[in-house]
Amino acid sequence: MEERVIEREFGELALNMGPQHPSTHGVFRMELHLRGETVVRVIPHIGYLHRGVEKLSETLDYDMLPPIYERDDYLSPTANSFAFVLAVEKLAGIEVPKRASYLRVMVAELQRVASHLVWLGTFGLDLGGALGGGSTLFLYCFRERERILDLMEALTGTRFHTNMNQVGGVRYDVYSGFDQDISQTVSYLKERIGEYKVMLENNPVFLERTKGVGVVSKELAKEVGASGPVLRGSGVVYDIRKNKPYSDYSDFEFRIPVGNDGDAYDRYRVRIEEMFESLSIINQAAGGLPEGPIHSRKPVKSPLLLKPPKGEAYAQVESPRGELGIFIVSDGSSKPYRVKVRSPSFSNIALIPYILPGHLVADAVAILGSLDPVFGDVDR
Amino acid sequence: MISAETVAHGIMLLGAILGVVTYLTWVERKFAGRLQSRVGPYLVGRPHGWLQPIADALKLFIKEDITPSKSDGFLFNLAPVWVVIASLIGFAFLPLTASWVLVNIDLGLLYFSATGSLIVIGIFMAGWASNNKYALLSALRSAAQVVAYEIPLLLSLLVPAVLASSLNFLDIARAQEGYWFILFPVVGQVSFLTFLLAALAEGNRIPFDLSEAESELVAGFSVEYSGMKFAYFYLAEYVHLLAISLLVSILFFGGPLGPFFPGGVWIAIKTIMVFLGVLWIRWSFLRVRIDQLMMLNWKVLTPLTLANLLLAGLWVSLKM
Amino acid sequence: MAYKVSKVRLAKYTLLAFWFTLRNLFRKPVTVQYPMVKRPIPDRWRGGTFALTTDKETGEENCIGCKLCEKICPSGVIDVEMEKHDGRGWAKSFVLDLQGCLQCELCVQVCPTDAIVMLQGMETPVTRREDFILDKNKLMMNENIFRAAWATGLKLQDLHEPKK
Repeated sequence: MEERVIEREFGELALNMGPQHPSTHGVFRMELHLRGETVVRVIPHIGYLHRGVEKLSETLDYDMLPPIYERDDYLSPTANSFAFVLAVEKLAGIEVPKRASYLRVMVAELQRVASHLVWLGTFGLDLGGALGGGSTLFLYCFRERERILDLMEALTGTRFHTNMNQVGGVRYDVYSGFDQDISQTVSYLKERIGEYKVMLENNPVFLERTKGVGVVSKELAKEVGASGPVLRGSGVVYDIRKNKPYSDYSDFEFRIPVGNDGDAYDRYRVRIEEMFESLSIINQAAGGLPEGPIHSRKPVKSPLLLKPPKGEAYAQVESPRGELGIFIVSDGSSKPYRVKVRSPSFSNIALIPYILPGHLVADAVAILGSLDPVFGDVDR
Repeated sequence: MISAETVAHGIMLLGAILGVVTYLTWVERKFAGRLQSRVGPYLVGRPHGWLQPIADALKLFIKEDITPSKSDGFLFNLAPVWVVIASLIGFAFLPLTASWVLVNIDLGLLYFSATGSLIVIGIFMAGWASNNKYALLSALRSAAQVVAYEIPLLLSLLVPAVLASSLNFLDIARAQEGYWFILFPVVGQVSFLTFLLAALAEGNRIPFDLSEAESELVAGFSVEYSGMKFAYFYLAEYVHLLAISLLVSILFFGGPLGPFFPGGVWIAIKTIMVFLGVLWIRWSFLRVRIDQLMMLNWKVLTPLTLANLLLAGLWVSLKM
Repeated sequence: MAYKVSKVRLAKYTLLAFWFTLRNLFRKPVTVQYPMVKRPIPDRWRGGTFALTTDKETGEENCIGCKLCEKICPSGVIDVEMEKHDGRGWAKSFVLDLQGCLQCELCVQVCPTDAIVMLQGMETPVTRREDFILDKNKLMMNENIFRAAWATGLKLQDLHEPKK
């Protein structure tokens, strides 16, 4: 192995915000070149969490794969398996009953709220410190998230990696008393998230730390391929749930929050408003669940029975981080020939070498936090 | 001359301070837990976890003492000792009851602020001697911050001195017989607020704790320390905080004055209230950035405290 | 830093931050002092370990050794050998390695005879790695130690395709 030495100019301090760090959201190494406290150059290094999901899926059957894909972006598991089962259904031409679509949407939106709560809590930790005001916000957000996880536990059996999506439908149906639980949880969350919004929005310290920090222009965002709240915070109106609706999203009424300037504050605003819109979608879905079966295939006996025809299909989903897409190439057998995952965090953190230079070290953490990367998604 | 009685009293005071500071960490953890809707320490000494500080102290005693091989040995070992001594000296000048001070000097206020500003030298020694880029960044930040915030600190400390016409702590406490200095119309409140901000910056507390920013520079200047040396830094921070709370309660809240209880009890109550207030600020706010910190100091606090001091002087000269 | 929020509003929101944390001081803490107090567990909760069930009336083992669970497990932790006598199949040996299990419940879903179920067991840590490799005897004994989760194979298949 060759020894790699960090090359730097004269007068710069090369600091390694290394793979183990409390504030790089996962294993991520940023080489910061500093002059004084100002960042002059950034070189990001990824690949510490590569697990080889795409190669692994060439050895497993289609029915066994959704639980594996849930571990990809580990903060919003059902988004990944959602994309996967949509791709397989497109390939094999399977229709999904309406009740299953509504249940999938409900679970996906619940996980979106949970993921954004994690983002808000860890953003507070980044800005405020693990012993201090940040940890107060962190513990509040996780307290609310426990209510969502309790709901998922009562519905499916586990709190997080629920394995709810299957090729052809969902696995679990609602239980009696589900309506009260959902409406209680949604109204509790609305009240609490409203509190945090009021608490943070005009707080002078929060405004100073996030206004004008990490400005991403429209052209840069479109060129790099950013998606999700990063793209919408810069002013581009693009949401896959509205532009290319999937799984009966066109039945629901919701708005898309869009920012103006593209700084960290706008991305924060976009995510908070998205939480409220998700809560309203959950209410609509739970209130209007149509009758019918929850699965359109026969109960799975042997995974070797699902043999989609030869061809390729791409399905995309609006995960909390952006556009998550899965592209499957099939050769007619029961195992996929090739699966490619288009991960949103990978494109989002490509923005870092462009927007970080010129800021201080303290902003590096704030910018990385506002882009919301998840390194299971980046490295797959 | 130093009498044997003073030395004996000094040793008792030292023991008392260290004991109180150990239990102040317990108060902080319980209070922080309740603010975050959880219970603080619970299991060690049920049901309130009151044995937790003893368990922590024991753990820090028996931890392995690691010294990096490329660090500057002498300065590395001197830094924690320096910081602890510098923060403990100030207690010699603060009165604990209406009439008892360990060392009663006429220039008490001046001596207190002089010894309090020695702490930053220890922090800088720790940052430099650790031979670590993170520690160096944090030490530079801390040095700039503390030196800059000395100015508003001293200028707002002078306001109670001007209002009481003396630098002796006992005289200042006695001069608040009518009503407390914080209740003085503009001058009292402004000087209290600016003193609080400057004292938070001096003591490296949130919202100004950039030198120990856990999310950017993991533990700042004390990142290479382990075991009892790390405990010294921790102890020094709490001792300094206790001294600041005591100072605030004497200068602005009347110190030992009050009905029913004797002076010592009132000082204790007011100190605890101020301490809880500082804790409350810590657990509710995020951290500012270094350039915003400097801007706050030079552009806002320094002119404000200068104007405040002039106003206080004008008031006193008009009343005479 | 050119944002236009008035100074009065900034001061008000600074004090509002204090009010929010103070309000939490007077709410009840959400801590549950496990293990003295345990949370109520929902019906469908599937926990850490597995059991092979026996028929309630006849007392026979339910597992017919069909190997459907072995084929569908994504991690490949199940190992079954079948033998035939008395007119039906039996499982000669059934080894489940709990260390690789994803807790995805696919094995429970495909079982045609409700043989394998997941249990609501919370205190399942062991002290040696070998104790995690469950063989057939341990799996059959587990049924008496912990309570079974709601989901069994036939119930899940019934959810998919309700029998009229």
